[in-house]
Amino acid sequence: MSVVREIAAPSNQVATFDLLRVPALGRFLRWRYSRIAFQVPLLFVGMLMVAHAFWGPQLAPKNLAALLTWVHFRGLVVVVILLVGNLFCMACPFMLPRELARRWFHPRWNWPPALRNKWPAIVLFVFVLFVYELCDLWSDPWWTGVLIVGYFVAATVVDALFTGASFCKHVCPVGQFNFLGSALSPLEVAIRDKDVCTHCKTHDCIQGRRDHSGETDMSTLKRLPVIQRGCELELFQPNKVGNLDCTFCLDCVYACPHDNVGIMTRLPAAELTISGTRSGVGIFERRFDLTMLVTVFTFGAVLNAFAMISPVYALEQWAAGVTGLRVEWPILSGIFIVVLVLEPAIILGAAAAVTRWGVATREPILGVVNRFARSLIPIGFGIWLAHYGFHFFTGFLTVIPVAQNAVIQAIGQPLLGEPLWQLSGFSAAIVFPMQVGFMGLGLLGSWIVAAVIARDMSPTRTWSAFAPWAVVHALLFASAYWIMMQPMDMRGTFLGA
Amino acid sequence: MRFSTLGRAGLLIALALFAGCRKSASDTAAIKVDLTFAPSPPTVGKISATLTLAGKNNQPLSNVEVRLEGNMNHAGMKPSFADLSEEAPGRYVGTLDFTMGGDWFVLVTARLPDGGRLERKIDVLGVQAR
Ligand code: SF4
Ligand code: SF4
Ligand SMILES: [Cu+2]
Repeated sequence: MSVVREIAAPSNQVATFDLLRVPALGRFLRWRYSRIAFQVPLLFVGMLMVAHAFWGPQLAPKNLAALLTWVHFRGLVVVVILLVGNLFCMACPFMLPRELARRWFHPRWNWPPALRNKWPAIVLFVFVLFVYELCDLWSDPWWTGVLIVGYFVAATVVDALFTGASFCKHVCPVGQFNFLGSALSPLEVAIRDKDVCTHCKTHDCIQGRRDHSGETDMSTLKRLPVIQRGCELELFQPNKVGNLDCTFCLDCVYACPHDNVGIMTRLPAAELTISGTRSGVGIFERRFDLTMLVTVFTFGAVLNAFAMISPVYALEQWAAGVTGLRVEWPILSGIFIVVLVLEPAIILGAAAAVTRWGVATREPILGVVNRFARSLIPIGFGIWLAHYGFHFFTGFLTVIPVAQNAVIQAIGQPLLGEPLWQLSGFSAAIVFPMQVGFMGLGLLGSWIVAAVIARDMSPTRTWSAFAPWAVVHALLFASAYWIMMQPMDMRGTFLGA
Repeated sequence: MRFSTLGRAGLLIALALFAGCRKSASDTAAIKVDLTFAPSPPTVGKISATLTLAGKNNQPLSNVEVRLEGNMNHAGMKPSFADLSEEAPGRYVGTLDFTMGGDWFVLVTARLPDGGRLERKIDVLGVQAR
């Protein structure tokens, strides 16, 4: 039996802190152009990165595109999600050219129903992880630049053709990463008072606000010009649960005529314990595409970290020896299939089988997997944090000498001073305990979420339902811990040296 | 494997834009640069580096100021530097610190007695983690 809990209504439960009520900051954030104010500086940084990628030195450690993408951007995304929320999507510069394009192109099509899910994003997510390893993107400024430009083009084209935020919701792999990760964030865009929504007639937060000045016939409403759009991600505030699919774009905040939407504090990961229908998402525990997204997110975290230590070269060499292959892509594909498909299928399938047996249910195995899938998010995010946090915390200061060097190379004058190459970041000895802490928190979060899901599934045999998943989480933690213990060995050569 | 053809094309464009119009004082392209490490293959830690410089007809080049800068292929890591001293004619030695296992490259910069400057990038792949 499953217990579907009441949809969270933060303001009616506990007194929460609302970021939009903070004096100056709140006022600024409620201002209609606050999002653009964040996007413009990032667009500027993005353009500098692209320029440096194509015309700067083709040495990753001296190139701003490679450095800022693979050390700072990735590191800051996970750290900011952990400490605040999905601020990268909020400040996403890829959305600016799209806004501009929409002044001329009014998207005519709705996103195809067959693709109204996460499958396109899952394919792209795996594709990016694969290309990253195959082409050693981290060591290649030029291709990093191509990736950034490709992203701008893809976002603009998709959203020029299709209505709503089709790119964010169904295509963008970074967005999906942020959506899943921000389940662990302390902040959430949510309503302040449920009653206000109950009495609301216009639902501007989802419908958008139209200019009906001088218009009295409300039947023509749909044809009036939109002066403030509603949620393009199809999240209807009073029924919205958690951060999944929310880009923090604040359109709902700008649109609500009753000033009833805030950015509220809440207990991180608690949203993962909520079952039932979510606005714009449906029922998480019945969506196999979400299960697959979570799986790729979690096992991909292990794979991406595994690719940075020596045993992966031993493994590739061994596979090359056995198969006689001299090119990397088939071997890498094999590793990807094993880690992202076979391994999860076996491990999650086995856990579900044991749970079924433990609680004596007839629910199909896949149903049980779908139910528990979201308990993987905290440990998966913990592993990403540990890995990207490592690069970020050990190297965040390197941007200073690299920028100083770039200025010298570009204009021949040390305007920012001579490069301080001795700057790097914290030593690995300090960062390692942080990594273990991140993963430990992730493990704890996964256990708590799984325990609640298990209780909902079987109030009488909670432990039998929970135990197999606790083992899965512990296994993920142990393998990631082992990886982080290994000396880093960042190679890009296959069968080289 | 890398998609290096286009990458190289990009690099060439970049080089052409950045350095294309500058002519070097002396013809350094003919200079032979050879960098070796002990132990070989190199391991993580401070290890000894030996660089030999030879000009036309393999005659050793003396009195050159030589500096090595080791970097990882991955961004975000502190580079290590080494100023080499001449141990025998055309043979320069020093210590370079490989702080992490993986793929490195070493930038060799040398100031020749005639005032010319020599710059080379030498890949040092697979520094062994310990
Ligand atoms: S959030 Fe605002 S616009 Fe949306 S239903 Fe509630 S009161 Fe209405
Ligand atoms: S409009 Fe939708 S995506 Fe944007 S902040 Fe509000 S709920 Fe999130
Ligand atoms: Cu890494």
